[in-house]
Amino acid sequence: MEKTMTLEVLSSIKGAKSSEAVDQLFEVIKTAQVSGALSLTEGVNIVSLDDLRPDEVIESSETEKNIIRNNFPSQKNGYLVVSKVIEE
Amino acid sequence: MVSEIHQIHNALVSQKYSCTDLVKSKIEEIKKSTNNTANFILEEYALEKAAAVDAKIKNGEEIGLLEGVPFGLKDVYLLQGQPASASSDFLKEYVSPYTATAIQKLLNAGAIPIVKENCDAFGHGSSTENTVFGAAKNAIDETKVAGGSSGGSAVNVAKKYTTFSLGGDTGGSIRQPAGYNKVYGLKPTYGRISRYGIMAYASSTDVVGPIASTLEDIRIVLNCISGKDYHDQTTYPSTEVSENAMSDIDGVRKLKVGYYKSFIDSEALDKGIKADFIKLIDTLRANGVEVNELDFFETNTLVSTYYTLAMAETASNLARLDGTNYGNRKSAGNLKEIYAVTRSDNFTEETKRRIVGGNQVLSQGHSEEIYLKARGVRNEISKRFSEEFESVDIVLSPVSLTPVPSVGETMNDPLAMYLSDAYTVGFSLGGLPTLTAPVGTETGIQITADKDGEAKVLQFAHLLNELV
Repeated sequence: MEKTMTLEVLSSIKGAKSSEAVDQLFEVIKTAQVSGALSLTEGVNIVSLDDLRPDEVIESSETEKNIIRNNFPSQKNGYLVVSKVIEE
Repeated sequence: MVSEIHQIHNALVSQKYSCTDLVKSKIEEIKKSTNNTANFILEEYALEKAAAVDAKIKNGEEIGLLEGVPFGLKDVYLLQGQPASASSDFLKEYVSPYTATAIQKLLNAGAIPIVKENCDAFGHGSSTENTVFGAAKNAIDETKVAGGSSGGSAVNVAKKYTTFSLGGDTGGSIRQPAGYNKVYGLKPTYGRISRYGIMAYASSTDVVGPIASTLEDIRIVLNCISGKDYHDQTTYPSTEVSENAMSDIDGVRKLKVGYYKSFIDSEALDKGIKADFIKLIDTLRANGVEVNELDFFETNTLVSTYYTLAMAETASNLARLDGTNYGNRKSAGNLKEIYAVTRSDNFTEETKRRIVGGNQVLSQGHSEEIYLKARGVRNEISKRFSEEFESVDIVLSPVSLTPVPSVGETMNDPLAMYLSDAYTVGFSLGGLPTLTAPVGTETGIQITADKDGEAKVLQFAHLLNELV
């Protein structure tokens, strides 16, 4: 069965709904004339697959790791607290 | 105007004043200011670095040109161990785990960061009113907006609280506030400067760039922070802009100039700005510069294309802000509720509007009709730029449709705010280098060249200083 996801669910923002101001911008695009089909391999600021950096793991410094741990929103008895995932 | 960086360098070397006194005085000025430009003042950090510069000078060691020069950074840059809030409640307590590449290059050159500057939250705005730190006020008239989103940075430079500041520009966020506060602001070619360590708004147009009082200072900072970076694969190796190239006035008179008829014919353009712009074109022609009128896309198409893509990209980039790993997490009954409450309570109304708009165009049924079509329009805009730059070297344009708005004037009218970016967003979509120079009209002039044409842009700005 097809399930429609609302803007509220997609955005994880309560009461999310489309804005009149933003919709007016989208209307301009809907009526714009574009010559030819969009090429997904051509365009602005695309990086060539031949120019990618190596896929490698770089160890963070101890300072960086400590700051990341301290930025964690909730800690208890030396553990980082996360919410329990509820299956639907 | 004499370079502020050179003036400070000479004063430090000749021990006219100490670096500590310089940094202290700038910090005191920011603290006393009513322009509300500072989210965080890096007092302890900056004074420690200033003491190290003073020790070097005292020991008779040479210092580099940028060594000891105080600068500001928009509060979207990471500087290890220091706050980075993006002017949001979400990240108000967040501490940067690492340092942005552009900032690291300035640190390596000895420049001293003294302030994290007020801006629109996550870059979402054109006035620095969409900020949880309160609106920043214009440097020349505090009843007017600072411009945005890098408003605090432009005001700090204009008030001389910082020698230069690093702003971020996605659709005009360096150029417009620079114009509003009568300083220089450069949006470099996309990829010239690494974006590593700047919080992403719309990754395909985000760029890092300097704001300064003089062209020479723009040149010095640009050269320091440019270059290929391992951490940002969209960067490219670039050559430095030399001082000689920038001041070649005879050479620059031979550059061919264009301007877009659709920009100047816009009914929304303020009559005074239009008259000043036409006067500038006449002055150039009278001084032997070839100026051509060019056809281009309507400003409505440019604004709509930009905002469609920017909203789609910011919805994706900000999806990671859910309160799980960092940020201000809110309590709720289960995981989904935590996400929803955290995001609903921590994002400002404008940021939520852009996230929702982005998800709207990326969702099933709309992506082809709006998002992919906007990408097609962008490719055509980019192609047209390439064609135009075969016949001209420089494109001139006003910075804004109107004079600087009053505080509160556009905050409650989002469409008016989006449309006010009419003259800046096109060059962002093209990834082109554009400088705002504080000449010509009340809010300045944009000077644009083809990709990697920063030298031409700075040269032409130098010519304008001679002629206007």
